Amino acid sequence: MAVIDETDWTPPPPSLRRYLPTLRRLIGLLLLIVLTAMFLLPIVWMLMMSFQAGEKMFQLRTEWIPTVWHFENYPNALSRAPFAQYFLNSGIVSVVVMITNVVFCTLAGYGLAKFRFPGSSVLLLLILSTMMLPLEVTLVPTFLVVHKFDWINTYQGIVAPLLIDAFGIFLMRQSMISIPKDFIEAARIDGAGELRILLQIILPQCLPALSVLAIFSFRDSWDQFLWPLTVVSVDELRTFPLGLVQFGEDYGNPPTEQMVIAVLATIPVFLLFAILQRSVNKGFGLSGLK
Amino acid sequence: MAELATSQHDELASAESRSWHLHHRRKITLWGIAFVLPTIIFFAVFKYGPMLWAIELSFHSYDMISAPRYVGLDNYRALIADPIFRSTLFNTLIYISCTTTLLTVIGLMLALAINTGIPGARHCMTAMFLSNLMPVIAVCLVWRILLHPYGVVNQLLQHVGFGRIDWLTSEWTAMPSIIMVTVWRFAPYFMVVFLAALLALPDDYYEAAEIDGAGPIRRFFHITLPLLMPTIFFVVVVSALLCARVFLYPYLITGGGPGNATRVLSMLIYETGFSYLKMGQAAAISVVLFAIMLVFTSLQITLFTRSERIYF
Amino acid sequence: MAKSDSMDLTRRAVVGGMGAAGLGATYAALAPRAYAQEKKPIKVSFWTFDNPQQRPWVNKRVKLFTEQNPHVKIDFQWFAFGDLGKKLSVGFATGTAPDGFVSQDWFMPVWLDKNLLAPLDVGKLGYANYQAFAKDFAPAFVEGATVNGKVYGYPMWFYGYCNYLNTKQFKEVGLDPDKDWPQTWDQLGEVAKKLTVKDGDKFTRQGFKFAMHAAQWTMIQFNPILVGAGGSWFDQSGKCIVNNDAGVRAMTIRASIAQKYGAEDPADSIATNPIPGMDFLKERASMFFCHPLPLELVKAQNPAMLEGNYFRPVQYPGSAPGKGISTAYGFNLVINAGASPDKQEVLHDLYKFMMSDLVDAWRDAAPFTFAKKGGWEDNAEVQKFPYVNEIIKAGSNGVALPRTLVFNELADSMHRGVQKIMLSKADIKSTLNEVAAEVDRATAAYKKA
Repeated sequence: MAVIDETDWTPPPPSLRRYLPTLRRLIGLLLLIVLTAMFLLPIVWMLMMSFQAGEKMFQLRTEWIPTVWHFENYPNALSRAPFAQYFLNSGIVSVVVMITNVVFCTLAGYGLAKFRFPGSSVLLLLILSTMMLPLEVTLVPTFLVVHKFDWINTYQGIVAPLLIDAFGIFLMRQSMISIPKDFIEAARIDGAGELRILLQIILPQCLPALSVLAIFSFRDSWDQFLWPLTVVSVDELRTFPLGLVQFGEDYGNPPTEQMVIAVLATIPVFLLFAILQRSVNKGFGLSGLK
Repeated sequence: MAELATSQHDELASAESRSWHLHHRRKITLWGIAFVLPTIIFFAVFKYGPMLWAIELSFHSYDMISAPRYVGLDNYRALIADPIFRSTLFNTLIYISCTTTLLTVIGLMLALAINTGIPGARHCMTAMFLSNLMPVIAVCLVWRILLHPYGVVNQLLQHVGFGRIDWLTSEWTAMPSIIMVTVWRFAPYFMVVFLAALLALPDDYYEAAEIDGAGPIRRFFHITLPLLMPTIFFVVVVSALLCARVFLYPYLITGGGPGNATRVLSMLIYETGFSYLKMGQAAAISVVLFAIMLVFTSLQITLFTRSERIYF
Repeated sequence: MAKSDSMDLTRRAVVGGMGAAGLGATYAALAPRAYAQEKKPIKVSFWTFDNPQQRPWVNKRVKLFTEQNPHVKIDFQWFAFGDLGKKLSVGFATGTAPDGFVSQDWFMPVWLDKNLLAPLDVGKLGYANYQAFAKDFAPAFVEGATVNGKVYGYPMWFYGYCNYLNTKQFKEVGLDPDKDWPQTWDQLGEVAKKLTVKDGDKFTRQGFKFAMHAAQWTMIQFNPILVGAGGSWFDQSGKCIVNNDAGVRAMTIRASIAQKYGAEDPADSIATNPIPGMDFLKERASMFFCHPLPLELVKAQNPAMLEGNYFRPVQYPGSAPGKGISTAYGFNLVINAGASPDKQEVLHDLYKFMMSDLVDAWRDAAPFTFAKKGGWEDNAEVQKFPYVNEIIKAGSNGVALPRTLVFNELADSMHRGVQKIMLSKADIKSTLNEVAAEVDRATAAYKKA
């Protein structure tokens, strides 16, 4: 956008001026579409390549739309390794982690937002500080801890370090902090138990935040690579990222089929987003967006 | 819960009911503790335990097979003397600062673009956000091929007159490429953060500014930007934390190469620990990374605990 | 520590057992094993690396073995080629290492240095004594699997790298693959130059291609050039001397294909995943140093190439014609020192059973050749395989990868160095100096620990 100097600028004739806002909007829309395309292009490419013939993936000129659609890539890719099992494992891990995050972040968020007890502010600090301790950095000792529990090669081992995320606690705390205390007090006077207060009064008000938490924790555990790689050494427990990386190492596999797995891996996250979208948008604070 | 006992209550309360209240209050406090307790135990075991262990381990020589042996500061001395560590640390800092800057600027620009009220902007936002949901592993596999010297990116750039660029195999463009991929993935997320902040801005400032005849650019720099400062701070800190732990992007896209151009600390931790079996040395690198992240975390905490806003 | 106690115990037990078995070796070779009658249920774990042919064959033999020995249950697991070493290290650290596994040859020094492997009883593997065992393999493979007359690894697949030619492309540019295949490094450059096709700054076809995608391959490809140029990785004292004159000469050869002959584009490879031969198989490179190529692989990636039969292996180029040497590497069957004596016994039987039918292994996993001399090369089925004798020759002429305690550090360091030289045109001498310094630091650190 340029600053328009009024002095050497002749106003357009009235008829054109009437269309000016429309024109500006049109240009804006066009720019926006170009921007969106930049973000969508790799996703579209991935999708198209998953239907492409094996030898077409690496060409000097990319063939965006397959001349022949190779739908058989999908069953072929799935048959090359136990991907159903890998996806199931990823699903189990991600759903468990999503649920524990939703439950425990809500509890802890509520505890930190609406209760004051000795050391509660220090606790908040300690909980938030764990954001500086991601799994990538504490990989070695976390592995040793999980080994102490004898959880190597188990589902417990894969999910254990992911169960609760400090960010989720903070998200829940912030979404609860503005709920007036009177509500809670009134309920207490009516004799409601603390858990009932949380479930019936607090929770309905922070469902949007909860869906944001749900989708992010699902996505993050769905994405886990390094941790399962470290903790799993049996095929039955491999998650799809491990399977997908291994897929490329088997030399008979066409690279287009790797894209098939990538597409299939993308679907669950997109689907969850589609289901939660309205609530997530509200959670993001985008309800006011036209 | 001091707030619970209102003055009105106190006046009415007999000694008996006061003791009941005291009991009741204690019970409520216990509930509060009970709500936080699972989290505390979890973090003690899976966050602080490993952290303390890493710190302890960093003073030992440990190959995971024979017992750890105390070596004092040897691991740290070895790190300082190691040119690979130094260049990896440098890479990490470059990655954090560039990615964070770009994410903040591009995130804000995207949010401003969406917020213009252009019809369809909302759908564009949703579409862009998909890049943030695509599995990282797929992101890396796809971009690695797109950035091939003869790949899609170069093919498209050719139309606007660019020559061949060896995105991932030239030491000058490899790190920028990794940064670009990270920005591609996370910019839409920060766009949403900024967008939420923009929507929450009070209208009356703008109305007043419009009456004063302030142009859009003046309005942006004099009203929007100052009001967005807390959000910008949030975005900077969160993306810095996000970048400090980066592993998969360089690991899968360039493998740390060419040379050492894209190796970051988390990769070095993994290699030193699990490939060279130097757990003590790996722990020392972890401690260095803790220190870097501590800076951003403390900034974040000051922001978080003072604000009542919802950040996500 | 409880763990090391139990390890010592088993080692003593095994050594004792070895003496006894030595006496009754002939008996052991003739009579069926006693435990086979006892049928006490036993479960052993066994790991190998992943590969579309070798892994299924190992799996098949393991299954057959358990069918014949119903009291034995084998927990069979596999890992990506590059992950197996890390997985084993972590496994040893946490006591979750398998009872037996397939070890890459170049990891043997580390396992042996840390006393993680149990000595094998050659009697139980069907050999009269150590000499009989040693005579059954080429010296290079025995050297990697034995220490002071004790055997720790049963050599399995060992194969040499060949120079694979696209004979169709040879003929296209007027070369006769039978006569014009490159025998010296200069010839390789010249031939590669002729084969190269460029489209502006892009290569439609590279005359020759070095793999650039993994440290392991950097080592495999540079090793024979270094040895051929009269160099070596380490001197007697263990100092890394890859930066001496011979090393620089070798690296100059390595770089010449791209930098002198312009026949290679080091930045262009579609082997984005470790399918190293992809550039060759997709006919974007006319020559490529590769392990023996299974026909299945060629068929999967380029059916026309298999049908037209226009690819063939030849020996590496050398300093002079006929002097080409390649890298040979392979795998040993080994036993965890922590495995209980009865599990070790089962594993001996399993290994003997696996290696008892190499023609079967060839059928499933051709053309990966074996360390064992005799018993398979002359078989008609083996001889049927195209150019099989070139492949066998490459294996027996090959030099092993350096057996060192800092192999991973050396490989990563070399990989970085080669990338700097090839992609950033860094100075060869100073880059190799850096590599040598890094490796020496790693060696010093290892000794200190």
